[in-house]
Amino acid sequence: MGKFRATDRAAAEDLFNACYPRLAGWVRRLVDDDDTAHEIAAEAFTRLLARWSSLENPQSYLYMIATNLVRDHWRRMGRERRALRAVSAASDSDPVFHPAQDVDVRALIQSLPDRLRQPFLLYHYAGFPIRDVAVMLGRPEGTVKADLYQARSRLRAALGESRA
Amino acid sequence: MPEPRDELDNWLNVQVKPLLPPPGTFERVSGQARRRRIRRAVLSAAGALAVAAVVAVVIPEVTTPAHETGRPASAARVSPAPAASPQHPTPETSSPARIPTPTGRPAPAASSVPAASSTVPPPLSVTFVGTSTGWVMGQALPAGQCNLTAAPHCVVLRRTDTADTGAASWRTVGAPPAHGPSGPSGVTQVRFLNLSDGWAFGPDLWATHDGGQSWTRIDTGGLRVTALEARGGRVFAVWARCTGKGPAFASHCTHFSVYSSSADADAWARTPFTSSRLGLPHVPSAASLVLTGTSVYLLLPGGHLFAGPLTGASLQLVVTASPAAAPCQPGPAQPSGQPSGALLAAGGTDLVLMCTGPPAGGGQRKTICTSRDGGQNWHRTGTAPSPGTASSLAESPSGTLVLATSAGIDVSADGGATWTAARGARPAGGFAYVGMTTATQGVAIPADPSRRAVWFTHDGGSTWTASRVGT
Repeated sequence: MGKFRATDRAAAEDLFNACYPRLAGWVRRLVDDDDTAHEIAAEAFTRLLARWSSLENPQSYLYMIATNLVRDHWRRMGRERRALRAVSAASDSDPVFHPAQDVDVRALIQSLPDRLRQPFLLYHYAGFPIRDVAVMLGRPEGTVKADLYQARSRLRAALGESRA
Repeated sequence: MPEPRDELDNWLNVQVKPLLPPPGTFERVSGQARRRRIRRAVLSAAGALAVAAVVAVVIPEVTTPAHETGRPASAARVSPAPAASPQHPTPETSSPARIPTPTGRPAPAASSVPAASSTVPPPLSVTFVGTSTGWVMGQALPAGQCNLTAAPHCVVLRRTDTADTGAASWRTVGAPPAHGPSGPSGVTQVRFLNLSDGWAFGPDLWATHDGGQSWTRIDTGGLRVTALEARGGRVFAVWARCTGKGPAFASHCTHFSVYSSSADADAWARTPFTSSRLGLPHVPSAASLVLTGTSVYLLLPGGHLFAGPLTGASLQLVVTASPAAAPCQPGPAQPSGQPSGALLAAGGTDLVLMCTGPPAGGGQRKTICTSRDGGQNWHRTGTAPSPGTASSLAESPSGTLVLATSAGIDVSADGGATWTAARGARPAGGFAYVGMTTATQGVAIPADPSRRAVWFTHDGGSTWTASRVGT
């Protein structure tokens, strides 16, 4: 086990102080709930500090963890929503469901496949340059650019459909 | 109805509102992380025990051929010594190990690698203590070989004691067992405070207290040393978290800290910041460190200037007349680790800052600002000649400014108001570093190290002549 030295702790605290507010704010924008945002941001930092000595770019790692935790949260919420709808469909003789009303940008982003959602979040939300996103995801820069283009095209098309 | 494109862009362009952590979050998070590390270590130790049992059986079969051929089982390669010593901030670890280095040439490495000192080493860095004694650090293997992590140490140190005669004669002395800069490891710069105490750094940190006969590696906990200066019995260094690869060891750096130690001991401790650094941008950039007779100054990304006493006590943010920042920002690092956007220098008590513009047409704008009150107020005092891109700025004890650029060396005796091009041969590509030892004597490193020479001035920077770094 790599020791967590005093220098590491100081650097970790610096990183925490500098990055937590923005990371938590970024997560809140995606999950629309302060408590969940704190929970995800804190968990991301816990995982980061648990592997601190072996990381070259902690900030990138932090946002990658948060992106995955947000994805897990969305999946969990999706399952709960589906379960609630199933329950209400069984008990309610006149279920009212307006997909168009549920459609907003956040929901559309949730619906993107992982391959497109990850670069989209890291580039447009976390503000990493394309080069860094490419390194974080292990993809060529050209592929990341193409993924971003495709993600935006899909979102625009979906927004157009939802407003039609 | 809004256009879909507008809606998407509007949504994406909304600024993220920061969400401050509830009190105690960091302590809770770090406690949980510690428990996870311990749990992982326990699991990993249990796994290692199982593996060791297997290895204990397998190893004799693997090593037998080596013994049969007479070759020792251990590798023949001379590798850099293991990191010894976590220093002061980490008292829980062991004390420094001293690595004896034979005076003379570094030990040969694997047979497939050329002998380290068979050629005159291209100079990377130079340092002088007084007018007659200096060291030049060179890289004895081609950069391509030195940049390999597995390469043997290929740093060579040469010393002269006759520089004041104008005919320096260099001899090889002990060097740290290191290779050139390669991402998180290697060294590229050397500094000596006196005939005994010296340091090789960038990004690793090595110290000697016997003139280079033996070197101690200082454990920086994975941080990279991007700048180091010594004065008045203390040494200060910038330790940063960086991700730059290869020779660009000082690029993509964030989270800068200043560590200092008594010059004659390896007792490094972090110099605290009394002003909060919250809100300072963590943009990848370089930082600049300069020492005056009384103070240490640190210029951080964003142009924030911190100052503290040479005792190593805390650094405070210098409150400037303009909004909380110096006239310009350090910008990306040069190969030496020094910033490219703002060159900070100090002679007596004045601070001088050269703000550089983007390179264009072989030149760049170079604005000189001076502060006489420790960085609180800055006055524009002039502009340096535009030809060439600036690499290094020095101020002599008498106040003369000496600027190294890709076009040569320029000198100003009036605080930057007027400049004169230095006389003497100019190496192609200009100079990468210039320093003034005294009011009259200075030394410069060419940008092209294959020149295998350093340049001296003995008239305050007006004239420069080459001195070959060889025997």
